[in-house]
Amino acid sequence: MLTRRLIVCLDMKGGRVVKGVQFEGLRDVGDPVELARRYEAEGADEITFLDISASAEERQTLWDVVQRTAERLFIPLTVGGGVRTVDDVGRALRAGADKVSINSAAVTSPELLTACAERFGAQCVVASIDARREADGWRVYTRGGRTPTELEAVAWARECVKRGAGEILLTSIDRDGARSGYELELTRAVAEAVDVPVIASGGAGNAEHVRAALTEGRADAALVAGILHDGLTTVGAIKTLLHGSGLRIRSVA
Amino acid sequence: MRVTLFDYGAGNIHSLAKALATSGTEVQVQTDPVKALDTEVLVLPGVGAFGAAAARLEPGRERMRQALDAGLPCLGICLGMQLLFEGSDEGEGRGLGVFKGRVTRLRAKHVPHIGWNSVEEDAAVPGARLDTVYYAHSFACRAQEPGAVVGWTTHEEDRFPASVRRGKVLGVQFHPEKSSTAGVRFVQAFLKEVAR
Repeated sequence: MLTRRLIVCLDMKGGRVVKGVQFEGLRDVGDPVELARRYEAEGADEITFLDISASAEERQTLWDVVQRTAERLFIPLTVGGGVRTVDDVGRALRAGADKVSINSAAVTSPELLTACAERFGAQCVVASIDARREADGWRVYTRGGRTPTELEAVAWARECVKRGAGEILLTSIDRDGARSGYELELTRAVAEAVDVPVIASGGAGNAEHVRAALTEGRADAALVAGILHDGLTTVGAIKTLLHGSGLRIRSVA
Repeated sequence: MRVTLFDYGAGNIHSLAKALATSGTEVQVQTDPVKALDTEVLVLPGVGAFGAAAARLEPGRERMRQALDAGLPCLGICLGMQLLFEGSDEGEGRGLGVFKGRVTRLRAKHVPHIGWNSVEEDAAVPGARLDTVYYAHSFACRAQEPGAVVGWTTHEEDRFPASVRRGKVLGVQFHPEKSSTAGVRFVQAFLKEVAR
């Protein structure tokens, strides 16, 4: 039986790991290779790099960082942010990513998911969906949560899988950074609607929130970022709580 | 020791190359299936689709089969393991046929099988037993020779080989190079064993 997964997300800009700080903008928090390796040693099951570079120059450094990371990281690495074409996906995989997440470009051209799955295999195609709660459901947003679409999140998740996505990375815009817990209702609705793994994202404030996402939310994996980077908890502490709750997880000897 | 990765297309081989690289190991990457046989250990890496990989293998398929039968150590990972079998429902073309049986789609609701799962009854590499390893695949090898299977795993109701072995030819469905410290230790233990 598959274990549940704890995935650590690192926001990247210009080849460095950055962190959003209220009123201050972005702060440099370190070298991606070293941080990724540290989280592997602590027991993270996967690492995700989310590139938030604003310019082509900044983005260029990403591929070099991905390659340097892949040479020293021995758990799966997903790269996302700004992926627009089949060639972008190919370049990320050649650089050393195991999976690539596609967000806005999938909304603009859903056939991109199919093209990538056919060329590289569904196991490396992650459809990333950002959703916001509205009166009668959840609306999909693109461009980092700025642009509303006409899509409803659960139906869009189904469509992404039909088109070739091998995983769904589901982020609640409302909860992102709020540390009040994952959007369980949304997570559960999507997890019950698709036959591929669903990764819950947005809202982790403590280990108990992660447990809730994997049990009540029925997610296969949970994405965690800020609370680890800020030292509020550790990978080990979260996994200890998950294990104690009876969930099957990978223990690190 | 010279270790050669037969690179048959797209995909991440950086982690694998580093996992293979220990002191005293020289890792080469070769896109030609015949030239890839000029080595002490052949590695068939694990990313891509069966049809495309079989097409790249075809010009050297007979020679590679002969080399493996003659005792060339080989590690096949994921799709690389599948190429050690006769053929696959995923795509056209022939595999090496070192192991009898076909590769068929997983019999499960959730496909691909992505994530960390166990290895049951692991006897692939003595001294490097595995517990939980990383899988990412939609097809599995249906080995017809029960004796060739040296590890099993189960996804939903489908139980299939996690690893097969005959002599110095080892195929693993999981990705040791993505299975953290234990996976890297496994790869290095295999290299050390076959180098003897």
